[in-house]
Amino acid sequence: MKKIEAVIQPHKLEEVKEALKGIGVDGMTITEVRGHGRQKGHKEVYRGMEYQVDLLPKVKIEAVVADDRVDEVATTIAKAARSGKIGDGKIFIYDVVDAIRIRNDDRGESAL
Amino acid sequence: MQVLAERTASCEVTIRSAYASTLEGKLPCAILAVGGFGRAELFPHSDVDILVLVESADAAQAAKADLSVFLRSLWDAGMRLSHSVHTPDECCQIHEGNTELSISLLDQRLLAGSVAIYEKLDKKLPDFLRAKELILTRKLAELARSRHSKFHATIYHLEPDIKETPGGLRDVHLVQWFGKLGGRAFPPELQASRDFLFGLRYGLHHRAGRDKNVLDFESQDALSSQPEELMRDYYRHARAVHRCALWMIDAAETTRDKSLLEQFRSWRGRLSNSDFTVSRDQVLARSPQQLRSDLPLVLRLFTFASRHGLALAADTEARLVEFHTQLGDLQWPAVAALLRLPRAASALRQMNATGILNKILPEWKEIECLVVRDFYHRYTVDEHTIVALEMIEPAHDARLATLFEETGRIELLRLALIFHDIGKGDGDHVRQSAEIARAVMLRWNAPAEDIDTVEFLVLQHIMLSSVMSKRDLADPATARDLAAQVGTVENLKLLTLLTYADIGAVFPGAMTPWRLEQLWRVYLGTHEELTRELETDRIPASIEGASTEEAALLAGLPARFLRTHSKTEIAMLVGLAREQATETAAVAIDRRYGAWRATILAADRQALFASLAGALAGFGFNILKAEAFSNARGMVLDTFAFEDPHRNLEQNPEEVDRLQRVLLRTALGKHNVNQILDSRKRAHKQKRRFAPKVGISNHAVPNATLVEVLAEDRPGLLHDLASVISGAGYDIDVVLIDTEAHKALDVFYLKQQGGQVPEEAHGELHQRLIAACGL
Repeated sequence: MKKIEAVIQPHKLEEVKEALKGIGVDGMTITEVRGHGRQKGHKEVYRGMEYQVDLLPKVKIEAVVADDRVDEVATTIAKAARSGKIGDGKIFIYDVVDAIRIRNDDRGESAL
Repeated sequence: MQVLAERTASCEVTIRSAYASTLEGKLPCAILAVGGFGRAELFPHSDVDILVLVESADAAQAAKADLSVFLRSLWDAGMRLSHSVHTPDECCQIHEGNTELSISLLDQRLLAGSVAIYEKLDKKLPDFLRAKELILTRKLAELARSRHSKFHATIYHLEPDIKETPGGLRDVHLVQWFGKLGGRAFPPELQASRDFLFGLRYGLHHRAGRDKNVLDFESQDALSSQPEELMRDYYRHARAVHRCALWMIDAAETTRDKSLLEQFRSWRGRLSNSDFTVSRDQVLARSPQQLRSDLPLVLRLFTFASRHGLALAADTEARLVEFHTQLGDLQWPAVAALLRLPRAASALRQMNATGILNKILPEWKEIECLVVRDFYHRYTVDEHTIVALEMIEPAHDARLATLFEETGRIELLRLALIFHDIGKGDGDHVRQSAEIARAVMLRWNAPAEDIDTVEFLVLQHIMLSSVMSKRDLADPATARDLAAQVGTVENLKLLTLLTYADIGAVFPGAMTPWRLEQLWRVYLGTHEELTRELETDRIPASIEGASTEEAALLAGLPARFLRTHSKTEIAMLVGLAREQATETAAVAIDRRYGAWRATILAADRQALFASLAGALAGFGFNILKAEAFSNARGMVLDTFAFEDPHRNLEQNPEEVDRLQRVLLRTALGKHNVNQILDSRKRAHKQKRRFAPKVGISNHAVPNATLVEVLAEDRPGLLHDLASVISGAGYDIDVVLIDTEAHKALDVFYLKQQGGQVPEEAHGELHQRLIAACGL
C-alpha cells in the first residue's frame, strides 16, 4: 500500500475529486493548508501599498491505495491539477505499513 | 408521565429488596433517592442516583464489604447505578468542586433504612439550604453558563442534545432547582414544554435502547412523520425554557457584590427616559399597555435595549406577546434607523426571541426555526441569519473590521443579510430570497437605488464563496469577471462582508484563517481591477438606447458612471449640460440620502477640482464622497457629497443660492478660496489617530499614474491634496474620494502631458502629499 499526498491549488480540488471518483478512488482526506514551494509567494498591492504574501492557500489531498494503483492515481491527480503555471503543487508518495478499519478490525488492503 | 413513574416505582422495589437482604441490620444507614430518581422521573435508560446516608465515615468503612454486596446486587439486577456515601454533616456542607452533591439533595427522598439517620439530615438540610442559598444559586448559574457555552449558547442546533443544550431538560431542572432554593413553584407556563421534552427523551431512549439524548436527523424521522414540524415545536419549547432559565441565571448573577452592584445599578437606572425605566439592568416600559400596538414605541424599545446592552424585563416581554401591527405601518426610515444602530444584531436577536420580527416582517415566519439539512449548517435558518449579523459586529479580523467601518450604507448590508436566506425551504432560494427582498422593500417605500443594492447583494451572496473554491485567484480573468459583475468598489466591500458573515455563521469555526485568506485575496484582486478600470474602461461614443445629448455627455466618462447613476440622474445631468453649453459652467445642488450634493459641469482648467473642494471646505462643509471625471469633449464633471454640520443650508435657503454662486465663480476661476480656508485650518486642531499613507504607481494602468491616499480626514484635506497635485503641474484625470470613520480614502489618476508621471518624480510628490495630509 502507498499513501499519495498531493498539495494542489484550491480551485483544482473539485476537478481532482471528480477525476479520482472516475477511476474508483472514493476515500480521501482533504486539508486546507498554506505554504509555498519555489513559487515563494508574491506581492499584492492594496491602496497603493505593496504587501508580500509568503504563504499561499493550498489544499492537501491524502489517499492510501494498493501498490498496483499508485501510478494510475498519481497520474490522474497530476493531470487534473495541472494548469501549467507556477504553483500547481506537488505529489508525494509514501510506503504504508498497515491499515486498520476501526469499525470491524479489517486490516491491510481490505481496510482501504 | 406514567411510564417514568412506573420505572421509578420498579427501581424502588428492587432497591428496598436489596437493602433488606444485604444491608439491613449490618450497617445503620438510610438509602435516599436523589437527582432524577428523587424527582420520580426515571427515563428507560437513565442512571439511578442514590445516596447512602451513614452515621459516620467509620461506620461505613467497617461495613464496606456489606455495602459492596448491596451495590453489586443492584448492578446485577441490571440497574445503572450512580451512588455516593455521606454523613448528614457532610451533606450540609459546601464542597468546593462538588456542588453537585448539594444540588442533588434538592430532589432527595427516603427509600429505605434508618428513619432516625434520615431525620438528622431532614432537620439540618432546610437551614443549610437557606443559609447557603446565595452560594448555591451563584454556583448553579456558573455551571449553567459553562454548559451553555459548550453549545455556543444557542438552542438552534439542527441535531440538539435535548438534555444538555440550552433550553433542554437540564434547563428545566435548573428552573426547578432555582425555584426550590427560592421557595417558588415551577412556572406553570413551562409545564407543556417540560412534558414535550419528557416525551422526546422517552422516545429517544425507547428507540435506541440506551441513554441517548441527541435528537439526530434519523431520530427526528423516526419520531415524527413531519420532522420539520417536530423540530419547530422543539425550538419553540426550548426557547421558552431557555428564556426562563436565563432570567433566573441573570438574577442569580446580579446578587453578587452588592455594594458595587448597587452603584452600577443606580448608574444604569439613570439611563431611564420618558419611554422606559431601567431596573436591575432590565428595561420596563412606562406605559406597558402601549406596547400592544404602538410600533414606533416597540422599535424605540429595541433600539434603547440594544444601544445600552440591556435585557427586556419579563413583564415587557409578556406585553410584546400581544403586540399586533398592520403591514403598512413599518416604513423605510424606521427600518434604516434600526439597522444603522451599532448593535443592531442584538436588537434583532431580541426581536426574534420575542416574536416581534415575525410580526413586523411576516416573511420571516417561513425561516423561523426552519431546519434545512445539509452537511455544513449547524443552525436553523433564522439562527444562521442572526449569527451572520453578529459576525460583522465587529468582525474579528482587523481587515474586515476596517471594511465594515468604511461601508457607508451599513443598513443595506444588514438588510441583505436578513434577506439572504429568507427564501429557503424549497426551490431556488437565492432567486426567491431576492424576490422577497424587493417586495418587502417596496412595501416599506425604500428608495429604488437601495432596493437594487440589496437585491444585488442577495442575488450574488454565493458568488464570492463560489469563486474562492472554483476559480484560479491568480488568473487576471477571475478579477476581471468579478469586477464586471460587482460593478463598484462599494458593492465589492458590501459583498465581501456579506460573504464573511455568511460563511462564518454556518458553524463555529467555519471561517478558518485559510478561508479568510482566500476571501481577502478575492477582495484584493477585484479591488485592484475596479481601481484600474476607473482609468481604462470608458463609455464609448455610441451607447444603445441613449439620446444624442446623453451620448455626448457620457462618452469618455469611466464605465463605472453608468453603474452608479440612475436614468433620472443622467437626465438631470443632460439638463445641466445644456446650461453649461451657454454659461461655460453649471452647478446643481440637491440632497440625497441625508447628505447634500453639488454637481459641477465645467470646461477643464488647471486646479479646478482643488478649487471646488476648497470652496466647499471654506463653507465649513465636510466632504464625504467626491468624483471627478472628464468626458471625451474635455468637459469635467465633478460631484461632491458633503454634510453640513451646522445645518446652514437647511435653515437658510438663501445660503443654497450663495453656495451655488460661489461654486459657479470658482468653476470659472473668479473666486479665490485660499484665504478663507487658512482660517478654517487654524481653527481645526485634532489629535491624529494614524499616520497617513500615500502610494504612487505607474503599474496600475498604461497611460496614467495611480495615486492612493489614506489619511485622517479634516476640513480642507481634499483641497490641499488636489492643490499639491495641480501645483506640481499634473492633470487630475479621474478622482474617487470616500470618507468613512474619520478616514479619507482618495484615489487619483494623474497625467502629465497625456502620459504617466515619470518614476523619478514620485518621491517628491509622495513627500508633498504626506506633508499635505498632516497640515
